[in-house]
Amino acid sequence: MSATTATMPRPDFIHVEDYNFWYGQNQVLFDIDMEIPECQVTALIGPSGCGKSTLLRNMNRMNDLIDGVSHKGDIRLNGTSLYDPDVEVISLRKRVGMVFQKYNPFAKSIYENVVFSLRVAGRGKRCELDETVERSLKDAALWDEVKDRLHDSAFGLSGGQQQRLCIARAIANQPEILLMDEPCAALDPLATLKIEELITTLKKQFTIVIVTHNMEQATRCSDRTAFLYMGKLVEYGDTLQLFGNPKQKDTEAYISGRFS
Amino acid sequence: MPGPDAKKPDPKRFEVSRNTLLFDRFMGWFIRFGGIAVIIAVIGIFFFIAKVAVPLFRSANVEQSGSVEAGVVPPVIGVDERGEMPFLYEGGSKLTFLNFVDQSTKELTVPGLKDAVITAYAFDTVRQRLTYGLEDGRVGSFLINYERKFNEDATGSWLEPAVIEEPVFTVEHGEGPVTAVSYGDASDPDDPSGARLIVVKRGEGQKASVSVIKLMMKKGLIGTAKLRMVGQTDLSSKLSGEAAMVRASSNGTMILVVSKNGDIDYFARDVLEVNKVQTFHPFEGEVPQQVDLLYGGVSIILTSRDGQQQQWSLFRESAESVRTFGMVKEFPPLPKGAVVFSNSLRNRSFIAGAGNYLSLRYSTSGDVRWEQQVDYKPVAGIIDGKSKHLIVAGDDGVIHRYQVNDPHPEASPKAFFGKVWYEGGMGAKYQWQSTGGSSDFEPKFSLMPLIFGSLKGTFYALLFSIPVALLAAVFSAAFLPLSVKRVIKPMMEIMASLPSVVLGFLAAFWLAPVLQYRVPSVMLMILMVPLSVLMIGYCWGRLPVVLRNRLDGGQEWMLVLPVMFLFGWLGWILGPVVEGWFFVYTDSSSGKQIADFTMWWPQATGMAFEQRNSLVVGFMMGFAVIPVIFTIAEDALSNVPKSLTAASAALGANRWQVVWTIMLPVASSGIFSALMIGFGRAVGETMILVMAAGGTPVMEGNIFNGMRTLAANIAIELPEAAVGSTHYRTLFLSAVVLFILTSVMNTLAEVLRQRLRERNKIV
Repeated sequence: MSATTATMPRPDFIHVEDYNFWYGQNQVLFDIDMEIPECQVTALIGPSGCGKSTLLRNMNRMNDLIDGVSHKGDIRLNGTSLYDPDVEVISLRKRVGMVFQKYNPFAKSIYENVVFSLRVAGRGKRCELDETVERSLKDAALWDEVKDRLHDSAFGLSGGQQQRLCIARAIANQPEILLMDEPCAALDPLATLKIEELITTLKKQFTIVIVTHNMEQATRCSDRTAFLYMGKLVEYGDTLQLFGNPKQKDTEAYISGRFS
Repeated sequence: MPGPDAKKPDPKRFEVSRNTLLFDRFMGWFIRFGGIAVIIAVIGIFFFIAKVAVPLFRSANVEQSGSVEAGVVPPVIGVDERGEMPFLYEGGSKLTFLNFVDQSTKELTVPGLKDAVITAYAFDTVRQRLTYGLEDGRVGSFLINYERKFNEDATGSWLEPAVIEEPVFTVEHGEGPVTAVSYGDASDPDDPSGARLIVVKRGEGQKASVSVIKLMMKKGLIGTAKLRMVGQTDLSSKLSGEAAMVRASSNGTMILVVSKNGDIDYFARDVLEVNKVQTFHPFEGEVPQQVDLLYGGVSIILTSRDGQQQQWSLFRESAESVRTFGMVKEFPPLPKGAVVFSNSLRNRSFIAGAGNYLSLRYSTSGDVRWEQQVDYKPVAGIIDGKSKHLIVAGDDGVIHRYQVNDPHPEASPKAFFGKVWYEGGMGAKYQWQSTGGSSDFEPKFSLMPLIFGSLKGTFYALLFSIPVALLAAVFSAAFLPLSVKRVIKPMMEIMASLPSVVLGFLAAFWLAPVLQYRVPSVMLMILMVPLSVLMIGYCWGRLPVVLRNRLDGGQEWMLVLPVMFLFGWLGWILGPVVEGWFFVYTDSSSGKQIADFTMWWPQATGMAFEQRNSLVVGFMMGFAVIPVIFTIAEDALSNVPKSLTAASAALGANRWQVVWTIMLPVASSGIFSALMIGFGRAVGETMILVMAAGGTPVMEGNIFNGMRTLAANIAIELPEAAVGSTHYRTLFLSAVVLFILTSVMNTLAEVLRQRLRERNKIV
């Protein structure tokens, strides 16, 4: 079900409906309601602890791995709820790829890192794997740099390369959505630039949600931006409009750097 | 610009206080000292243990400690217990005593022999008895008794030798002079009543005959015991050839007649009968030059004319047959020439001399403990009662005395690690039996059964505990919700602190008797419980997602646990049923078919079934080993970075795939150290094995019999071993072996662990 340009992009590809979320007794998300359009880059910004990462991690139910969480409301992916009783979390995560803040390749070769999602899905045909590795690495703009050493350890790559490898790994299984949790936080400016270029090309194929602290980054590569503050969605709209003409005082304060 | 006071601290800047610096330096050295002290302590322990064991490997130290000019070359030499005053006998009525302490000489005359013509004589070192035969066909004997006398003020002492004459008997059978005698005496030195015998050969050539005079020492109602003749038996008709030598074992139960054609006839004496048991020929067609019994009366040492020396022992060829002689080992050959032989009365040592060569040998291991070329030809020799001196008479008329220092003749690498043919055994084997009921017991010091036992105990303990502990660790680290894990983990850690003596007690007195009659149940449970879990796992996977989502992740154990218990209980119940199907043995006496695993196992496999067996040990050791492996492996698995597990989960791996592809490789080095620490615990575990392993040092892999491990053996025997004895030092040697075993294993494991870590390290 990969996104195609043939049909019209769906404006509410990810639909967060009155979503509340608790870690134990501690509520971190309050009545979040937003629609994330297909094949666009949506940035989540906000000060530390505002709940943007939590919201992102709920989109593939990664927070299920934590004890004592609870939620109210719903998140729909392409019309189906994440919490439908017949949703298998494993299959859900195959539709939603994720890239983490700190690049985290496995202690395996570059090749095995990329095909990991195929391996755990039980796909082992050599030609299929080879094809996936080439396509994913090309999509992640890493192919030319590593094509001669695919079977070397992934740890031999630089930080930026490792993060692009993680992106290649996340898109290898052709997910519909790519969640990126501050993907450039641990990278130098040059590597950051590369990732940002990559994001711009990847949005043709994937719906991308990115959490970032870097407002220039949000302006550079996102189409829409949501500002979260204290667990609430303060403002959500076109990136240019939100940064150029914020409607809320808090938003303005934040983007002009008056609090972080 | 730096002024004169540039080094002065800026008052606005906080300087590190002197105390902090001092404390920091102190702690640095303190920690260094602690670390080095630990290493020194471990090495020190090793060296202390090794130091006790090292004397085992010293060869005998024999030094000449005096000589006396005797002017004669005596055929018989005897000595007191401490090697102070040997006597010489040349076949008359006169005994010459040489005092090595003050170099004086003393002569004693045996009154009864004044006018007798002595034609044969033999000396028995065990009883200090000289037996003689006369020209007229009579035989008699006398004892040489040394008594220690003290000065009135007890400042000094000397030995006072005396001769005690015994009755003379007339040989009824045969004719001519007595040509060979030998005396056997079964009586206890403290209780002189008992059977005795004298073997006598009369005449030479065609007329030669051999007979046995059976004697009995009996106490009358009043007065002292009296030696009476019970009867005489003529053995001549049963001999294989013309007799050359006769030998009676010093306990009088065995008679050997060596024929001139080289055959040796072995007769056994019952209370009244003397029966021929066996004829054997040690050196084909050749009369052995020397045939003598070793201490213990089960082995003989024979030397051929060209110097080959062999040991023959009594043993059973099979479980049913009678004990007969067979060759057990060969010693390094002696030079040609007359052979001098005397055995120790303490152990299996003997001296052998020929030509101008003298050696001290040990029969159990076949070792030469000491050897030397001497500048005379030995003609007679003897070891004193304490095995501290050798007295050797040379052809130069000089009596040489040697001081012997050989505290551990039983010890040798071969005795510890090689196969040895012990007296009475059916072949060479590894055997541990350190003490016996009598002083003439032959100690068996092979460490192999103990090493085998240690490895066997460890194997069965790990066979049971590794799968359980590792699966539990994986389950706890990757599947269990934190709330449950918080309860389980401390509980397992408490389990690790259970005293092993309690576990051993439970194993020996509760588990072993219960399991004895429930082996089929246990086997069924071992089979059924994991299978039931696999089965429920399979069924669970087949259920629709809607149903599966009802149960939160990590709560499945609530579903599995009842099923496990159910199938465990089913296995327990169905055990006897299965026993009735498969484990039926036929009772040999009644021909009945009985369902009983404990009887079926020996009949089907030929291996023993014991109540305290490896299965029980494996189970109980599990209680000691599982918590250790579990705790460390669980930590290793839990410490796998969350970023990696999260990444793989985000890529659609299920929990098992996360474990298998990410957690296990990353944690492999930690899991490996968990296994090694578990191994160390199992190898060194003592109390459970002392109490529940049966303690027999057998070398069988059989799961249904026990074992004796190095550690358990030390615990059992060290309190009983005399300090400084061979037994004591051998136990220390076994500790060294245990130490080396574990260090080698740990070093190997550490190397392997480092490699694993290198391969799976996370940058």
